[in-house]
Amino acid sequence: MSSERRYTPTHEWIQSLGEPSLMRIGITDFAQKEITDVVFVELPKIGKKVPQGAEAAIIESVKAAFSIYAPMGGEVVAVNSDIESNPALVNSDPYGAGWIFELRVDDPAQWNSLLDEKGYQALLVSGTGGGH
Amino acid sequence: MALPLVPYHIKRLARMTDFHGYLLPLSFSSILEEAKAVREAAGLFDISHMGHFLVKGPGARQAINRLITSDLEAVPLGKSLYGLLPNDSGGTVDDLILASSGEEELHIIVNAGNREEDFAWIRSHLPPSLALLDLSIDQIALALQGPASQRIVALLSRGFETMGRREVRFSTDSWERIWVSRTGYTGEDGWEFFGPAEAILPIYRTLSEKGPDLGLVQAGLGARDLLRLEMAYPLYGQELTPEKTAFDAGLDFAVNLRKASFLGKEQMVEKREDPERERLTGFVLTERGIPRTHCPVIDPSTGRQVGEVTSGGHSPRVGGGFGLAYLDPSFFNEFMKGKEAGIEIHGKIHLARFSARPFVPGGLTKK
Repeated sequence: MSSERRYTPTHEWIQSLGEPSLMRIGITDFAQKEITDVVFVELPKIGKKVPQGAEAAIIESVKAAFSIYAPMGGEVVAVNSDIESNPALVNSDPYGAGWIFELRVDDPAQWNSLLDEKGYQALLVSGTGGGH
Repeated sequence: MALPLVPYHIKRLARMTDFHGYLLPLSFSSILEEAKAVREAAGLFDISHMGHFLVKGPGARQAINRLITSDLEAVPLGKSLYGLLPNDSGGTVDDLILASSGEEELHIIVNAGNREEDFAWIRSHLPPSLALLDLSIDQIALALQGPASQRIVALLSRGFETMGRREVRFSTDSWERIWVSRTGYTGEDGWEFFGPAEAILPIYRTLSEKGPDLGLVQAGLGARDLLRLEMAYPLYGQELTPEKTAFDAGLDFAVNLRKASFLGKEQMVEKREDPERERLTGFVLTERGIPRTHCPVIDPSTGRQVGEVTSGGHSPRVGGGFGLAYLDPSFFNEFMKGKEAGIEIHGKIHLARFSARPFVPGGLTKK
């Protein structure tokens, strides 16, 4: 698995951290713009098991609350505590310092069910994205 | 419905949102930054969605005065008045800003979502000798709000900066039917403009081109809602509904019971005497969370639902989550005396305590 980013129709991104089953998850630039000013993030507990597509975190913005779904199933192994003290990182650097949590994934084959860059951009253009 | 300034907002890459069928800017940069700019400098809001009516004919003021809670007869020409339009059971059709533009002429500003209903309600209660016109079509309306507004409005070189608080001017030159008032919905000093698109567009252009040098930012509905909630101003559909009276919402100041009788007055007074009526209160969360409209309010000692949040949000100025809620009267009394309430957010109870309104001092309350 490469360091390629893949996406969900609900505007999460997922990227390998080098180890094939260790994945980092965040929200896309499109999502952070839609969500507007992030006030805080309800992070999952480390050790929590989340199936693919299940709610894993909640982002509370000035505008509304948004569920963040696990792009792949697995166990939460890390959360980004920096965004607890500085939630604006989710807006300012959604693919970098504004990441949300890390998963040890159960089934690497689920990767193939996700959108690649081209597929995600096409989704944004067609405006059929859901979730956020 | 497409409003005249939409292309300008899209050019500025505003995040647009639907509000009662109107496409409006939610935010241009960041809701929190726009709200901060309005408290510290100034913001320019597109409020073209607001309804704007003209009532014309002999006895127009008296006829409208019989429909509203406040007293139009006590307000001189050239001053605006806030009031509510009660229904025949004492509940609320809408809240309004009114001003006379002549002895036989009156302008009314109404909420976007209620425009058609208000028009039908008012029309059905006016004698046929009076004309009621809807001036909202192809209207641009702007709100310039914030402590720097006076310096910014002077950029228009029309002398508006000398107006007094709540003063309204109606232009008498070629700018027919323009309403300019020193009013607003943010708790800050400011001006509002209502008129035909071609008349207001030059004002919009001047303010948006030259205003930024004096700290003006474009601001959207997100900041507008946050600013009004910080001031605990009611929003129709949330604090005010067909069931709720001005008294329920704590708007006693807008009701004049000594004036000539008005429609719904007896029913309002009767409802005020009801010991079971719910009461609107301000609250702040004592822990992290953001309350939203319709979140249940729970009595933490019994687990029983004792109310519902009507408006909620997060404000750095308030120091976290805060909002307005209607509460059962018995719990309301305990809450006022210091008992904590539970606000249910995403299935979890967050504790809240009573807060006086407004939640923060606006520029106008400091004076």
